[in-house]
Amino acid sequence: MSFLIAQSLINGVILGTLYLLMAIGFTLAFGVMRIVNFAHGEFYMIGAFCALIGVTWLGLPFPITLALTIAFAILLGAVVERLVFRPFRADELSGMIASLGLAMILQHGALILFGPDPQAFPSLVSGVFRWGALIVPKSRALALGIGIVILLVFYVFLMHTRHGRALRALVQDQEVAAVFGVRLEIMYPLGLGLGVALAAVAGGLMAPLFGVSPFIGGTPLLKAFIVVILGGLGSIPGAALAAILLGLIESFTSSFISASAADIVTFALVIGVLLVRPAGLLGRAET
Amino acid sequence: MKRNTLLAAASTIALISGGAMAQETLKLGALVTLSGAGASWGQGMMRAAELAAEDVNEDGGLEVDGTKYKVEIIAYDDAYKANEAVTAANRLVFEDEVKYIIGTVGSAPILAIQPITEENGVITMTLGFTGQALSPEKPYTFRPNPTTAEVAQPQIDWIVKTQEVKTVGALFPKDETGEAIAKDLSAAYEKAGATLAATEFFERDRVDFIPLLTRIIAQGVDAIELDGNSPATAGQIVQQARDLGFEGVILRTGGPATQEIVNVAGEAATEGMFVHSAFDPGVESAKAYEERFTSTYNEPMNGFSPFFYDGTKMLFQAMRDAGTVEDTEAVKTALENISDYQGILGTMNWTGEDRYGIAHQLDSPFYIARVEGGEEVIVARCTSDGCE
Repeated sequence: MSFLIAQSLINGVILGTLYLLMAIGFTLAFGVMRIVNFAHGEFYMIGAFCALIGVTWLGLPFPITLALTIAFAILLGAVVERLVFRPFRADELSGMIASLGLAMILQHGALILFGPDPQAFPSLVSGVFRWGALIVPKSRALALGIGIVILLVFYVFLMHTRHGRALRALVQDQEVAAVFGVRLEIMYPLGLGLGVALAAVAGGLMAPLFGVSPFIGGTPLLKAFIVVILGGLGSIPGAALAAILLGLIESFTSSFISASAADIVTFALVIGVLLVRPAGLLGRAET
Repeated sequence: MKRNTLLAAASTIALISGGAMAQETLKLGALVTLSGAGASWGQGMMRAAELAAEDVNEDGGLEVDGTKYKVEIIAYDDAYKANEAVTAANRLVFEDEVKYIIGTVGSAPILAIQPITEENGVITMTLGFTGQALSPEKPYTFRPNPTTAEVAQPQIDWIVKTQEVKTVGALFPKDETGEAIAKDLSAAYEKAGATLAATEFFERDRVDFIPLLTRIIAQGVDAIELDGNSPATAGQIVQQARDLGFEGVILRTGGPATQEIVNVAGEAATEGMFVHSAFDPGVESAKAYEERFTSTYNEPMNGFSPFFYDGTKMLFQAMRDAGTVEDTEAVKTALENISDYQGILGTMNWTGEDRYGIAHQLDSPFYIARVEGGEEVIVARCTSDGCE
């Protein structure tokens, strides 16, 4: 029993960190641009394909592939902001529908390019770390490690650089930020670009674990959605809290009750939080 | 000038006579899964129908009662969902007016479209594993591929005996297909003297199996059974089970998917896995079909594809025998009457009277293979009586 508890704890933390990568990008895009980006899951898929192309087609080492994926994703996000989202900046509903359309275009584009079959992704590492009966697959430990490093770098950027401060100012109040000289024409593409890059890097990290196909974006999008609603739309600390919480809940209910129960508990929790704290655990109420 | 007139006249005659010889078209629906987890099966089925159509079109069309029909495939994607299958079936039956449908892939979709197809006398060839797909009340539905019900017992007997397996764990998708297979397998293991000790059900789009596998492995099972899972999902289960340090037997008693599983999980994780195989590369016609498939589509062939190639060809023969493409009742009877059909996989006959109450299930030889270096190596040959 204690083995199962400890194992579930480890599984849950790993899962939570991965959800966090997805959710932070999602909540950042919303916080900065007030756009609920339904294409977020497809950027995860694109990141996974970038990693696949880099590692298997071009034969690049994984870290370089990830770095290239991030650079490509920031550019892609900036372009998407300019071409698709800019016209809907003040219009949340239309922006949401545009993002749905974008999601379909990206998914079916990938389907045309790569076909529906899951693609082989070579394992980067194999084997497990063992402490007594406890087991952590090395592949997951690696994803967890890189994920944490990326999150830390992102945290430092957000808290301790000029652009990071500008982004946070934008999340708090767009007009006041603009009055104080935050340059919107740079910060919007940057905000979305970073959001997209976080999704893409999550996809790249997950590719060796969960496989690559054009349809892999749906589940992470849903998880990001749950995390962001639990934590409060636009709130990054809220997302962090909710992601770890979600990972642990899923892991424990799947291990001790059943996979179906995990879904039930998760959504019951979402409904419960929305009833008691409509703005989410750490979100600010709309004024 | 005179020459020009002659030329013009000649070409006009050619045009007119060309028009008079214009072929009729026979539309064949392909209602399969082209997106999501079951897409590789759906593509295998659709392409089987396309290749069978290509065969007859090369000869100038399918000749039935003196008329040549050019065969055209109309494909729709059901995304493995019952509601989308119903929409597509309505389009096929009422707008495109097809009388023959290759599909569906899934069990829930075939059960959902049968009220439409049976009512309108549309012949369907489904892959759906549910026992309810075939019954005397559904005389227009046929199944060209063997299912778990046909192949599980002999293979499980063999594995339990040779690999000394006592307890088995398995994960199944939470839908009609998964429930049906779980029931069949549980009974089959019981009969073979082992127990399906740990089962888990999950949503079809799940990709993270670590928590479920942790639970299964914690119960100390000797083997993990993959039957009932789509190729991609099965690959993820194999990879993650090995990631968790599981060293027991991994087997798949039904549903050909080896190539896709190796693609996803990698050669190392799949080494030594036992799989069901309907495909003996030693049979020349089967090998030729696989080569034709891969050279045409540049993708590995899914193991279900040959059944649907044979099935479609049998359907064509039934139309020829019946002398009609319009009267599906006559075609259905002609199809039922085909026996000892020489398909690419071997000799095919209809069976299933005992199990389903109607002989609409195709019977064919099958094999148990061991995966070595990512390739299937046949270790036992089976009929419904047993494997050796």
